[in-house]
Amino acid sequence: MTQMQKKYAIVIDPLNCIDCKACLIACKVENKVPDSFWRNWIKENNSGEELRTQYQPGQCMQCDDPSCVAACPVVATYKGENGLVEIDLDKCIGCGNCITACPYDARYRNSTTKKVDKCDFCNHRLKVGEIPACVETCPTKTRVFGDLNDPESDVSNLLQSGEYMRIVNARINTLPNIYYRKGTDLLHWPKEPTLPGGTHMSPQFWKTNT
Amino acid sequence: MPTVKNQEMTRRLFLKYSAIASASIAGNTSILHGLVPSASAAVLADQSQMEKKFSVCDMCFNKCGVIARVEKGIVNKLDPNPKLLKSRGMLCARGNAGIQRLYDPDRLKYPLLRTGARGEGKWQRLSWDQALDLAAEKLEKIGKKYTRCGTMFMAGSDMQSKFVHRFAEAYGSYNILSHESNCLLSRNRAFLDTFGEVPLPDVLNSKYIIMPGSNRFEALVTPDSIDLMTAIRKDCKLVVIDPRFTKTAALAHEWHSIKPGTDIAFFLAIMHVLIDEKIYNKEFVHNRTHGFEALTKHVKKYTPQWAEKECEIPAADIARMARELAAAAPAAMIYPGRRTSDYTDSTQIRRANAIVNALLGNWDQPGGLIVAQKIHLGNIPFEPDFYEDNPDDRIDTDRSPMMFETEGAFKHSRDAVIEGKPYPVKAFFTYKTNPMQTGANRQKTIEMIKHLDFMMTIDIAMSDTAWMADLVLPASSYLERIDPISCQQGVSTGPCLVTRDPVVEPIFESKTALWIVSELAKRLDLGQHFEFTVDQYRQAQVKEHPEIMEALKKDGVYQEKRQVYGHYKGKNFKTLSKKVELYNQRYADADLDPMPVYRRPKPIKSDRFVLVVGRNAYNTQGSTTNNLLLRELISSNHLWLNPVPAKKMNIKHGDRVLVQSPVGRQVIKVRVTKETREDTVYMETGFGAISKGLTGVFRCGACIVELLEDKHDEICGNMAMHETHVSIRKI
Repeated sequence: MTQMQKKYAIVIDPLNCIDCKACLIACKVENKVPDSFWRNWIKENNSGEELRTQYQPGQCMQCDDPSCVAACPVVATYKGENGLVEIDLDKCIGCGNCITACPYDARYRNSTTKKVDKCDFCNHRLKVGEIPACVETCPTKTRVFGDLNDPESDVSNLLQSGEYMRIVNARINTLPNIYYRKGTDLLHWPKEPTLPGGTHMSPQFWKTNT
Repeated sequence: MPTVKNQEMTRRLFLKYSAIASASIAGNTSILHGLVPSASAAVLADQSQMEKKFSVCDMCFNKCGVIARVEKGIVNKLDPNPKLLKSRGMLCARGNAGIQRLYDPDRLKYPLLRTGARGEGKWQRLSWDQALDLAAEKLEKIGKKYTRCGTMFMAGSDMQSKFVHRFAEAYGSYNILSHESNCLLSRNRAFLDTFGEVPLPDVLNSKYIIMPGSNRFEALVTPDSIDLMTAIRKDCKLVVIDPRFTKTAALAHEWHSIKPGTDIAFFLAIMHVLIDEKIYNKEFVHNRTHGFEALTKHVKKYTPQWAEKECEIPAADIARMARELAAAAPAAMIYPGRRTSDYTDSTQIRRANAIVNALLGNWDQPGGLIVAQKIHLGNIPFEPDFYEDNPDDRIDTDRSPMMFETEGAFKHSRDAVIEGKPYPVKAFFTYKTNPMQTGANRQKTIEMIKHLDFMMTIDIAMSDTAWMADLVLPASSYLERIDPISCQQGVSTGPCLVTRDPVVEPIFESKTALWIVSELAKRLDLGQHFEFTVDQYRQAQVKEHPEIMEALKKDGVYQEKRQVYGHYKGKNFKTLSKKVELYNQRYADADLDPMPVYRRPKPIKSDRFVLVVGRNAYNTQGSTTNNLLLRELISSNHLWLNPVPAKKMNIKHGDRVLVQSPVGRQVIKVRVTKETREDTVYMETGFGAISKGLTGVFRCGACIVELLEDKHDEICGNMAMHETHVSIRKI
């Protein structure tokens, strides 16, 4: 039997998140992310003087219709194996098109390499049968990782419950592969993809799917 | 100051440097045992292989399970060990940042002797032999002049602290302090004096938890913090009682912003409703408790309406909470807390918590308070010598009526050293504890140190306490050490045993506590008490049970299945009355309130604020604030100030203010937030360091213990850190 392609996804129940930021430090060490940059985040539902009552983790959503891929002028970022959005560092010219194109602000330019970096679900760990560092280290197991092509997987089962949803920009839906439990407060934060300089493009521009 | 690294040095460069250092000393310091499959030579020979090695975390006291990934003799990543059930398969931000403790450019690298004025930061490098000879000579001399009790020892929470205690006993001093009198003694006192032992809260199976003054989603305790989330996502209601809107409050079903210092009023009213409405557990109360009639009489007048005026929690809510607790009992609890060094009546506050638990009949029951199970371990016994000229008692003796002799009281000992009463103490030996950042009233700690002839500190970094010492000795980190076996509590998953073996070779000239005290002992003619290695000690701990070492080697933990509930069937409580003491006769005999009595806290003047202590999930006080990885989460501290007083004083977010208390003053930036009451301010602990050896936190932010007055728990001598009122002025 041939190995079926996997479709990796993370299903998040933000109501479990205590904002301990174990996932941020685990990721930073695992992926040698430079000072002041992060591959993942935790957002809070209120800021300033108001009371914070919810926390919502996130990272690159490995979208099925990734606007970052559409924005890359040199095909350095592409939809790779098992649903992961990958970056070919040999090709990346560090132009930053993909950074502003991401609705989730999941990409940054590495200050040392001058190339773009982002979460890849710890692909090097996946290849040896381990789960992403952020998923594993979490005290309250807020993130559940798995293969949506496997109907028996935990992530498939969770999605079948109908309790989960995608968080998308109102205008451009990039079909993300991170799902959030309904009831999460932070819904309207993904921004419309732009090219550097705040250049808006037609929705068609961001389409990569046939 | 030779230990201050160039700040430009990157972590990666440092890793490279450390690898060379560790390789060069690998040959002569190898003490690899047990869990480590290959000796250092093999590690160096086969550099392509990634190895996984077990350890337990040391970034706080919890000792969570760790699997270290080691490549080419360098630790790349620390992962959680899912087999260690106590930590429930997790590693927090600090645990993940443990790699930075190992490879911290600010680590102490060799012994240092003070050459300038105390605290000036002028040091001279010594060889270990020079350092140990000097320390032994000083300890000998001070022992002769002031007796062996003229040296005070203080060791923090660490798997090798027992060896420092052993050394202190062999040397002949009774003046041994732990960190706990700046932390949890009030809770221990209260639960011991109610139930005869300190229970564990079965959070996982509870249906209703009132959590007063604890912050389990930030001040992480394994397994309680994880179990709390599991429980509340299932069917448990969580009520947080705290002047501050912590993240635990944020995620709770209810938060009540209690007026600081009025907890007893709240709990007396809870007792009042439980008794008045006869919704307490009648069977348990009548069969297993002592003093119910007295308690009934005592709480008659403490109605919720009365309590509301004191604690500012609505009477209807108090009555409702009491009813909800009763409805969920026995799977309901008042969470006992951990750090309880809050008020001068903290033992009585925690007694009030314990008594409500007793009325709910949750003892030894699922979802209630359960009995800690110990796995018995052997040791290598020893008979310390008798020193005829020693005084009769500890230096802090009788300064509070019910102290813990095994822990001591830092506050009282410090006063005693300053006063020179009842006898002079002229030397101070500290291991991995930092009272300069954790003991309220820092100026008084400095004053105490100025009274000393000699102070030596063993630590991994130049803490503020090390900064004040005469001799500073570099300790190995937990990832470089072999440690004795330690019993940990997984609560509903039972007790377990953990240990450590070196994940990598010690770097620089760092040494373990056992090696240091053994070398000192040799020089002081006490060597016979230390004729063992840690591995031999460990063998003595488990000699009847070879399966323990096998499990530790295979899984990184030894788990034991034990009966969790029902231990007290037909068994007496270990109290004077052999029952749960609602009324405590020993307290009455000692002229203390036999039942908690409410006394109104001193009024807060209109331009003053109560300063409270607390935690976030990113730091363990001053021991991690200088960690470069964690500094990316919180790089300085802020004064939390409510918007109402902020507006009145025209203070905006980010403004710098001068905070003044009766004992000190600090400058700090303000965070304007509704997450604290109008009369209460807060700042994180562990900042405003005076040590230039902590390059990140040196003079960064404010030091809370510089401001806190050193009041104490009047029963057990625990520090009372919520009794300080401060003024705030924009600058």
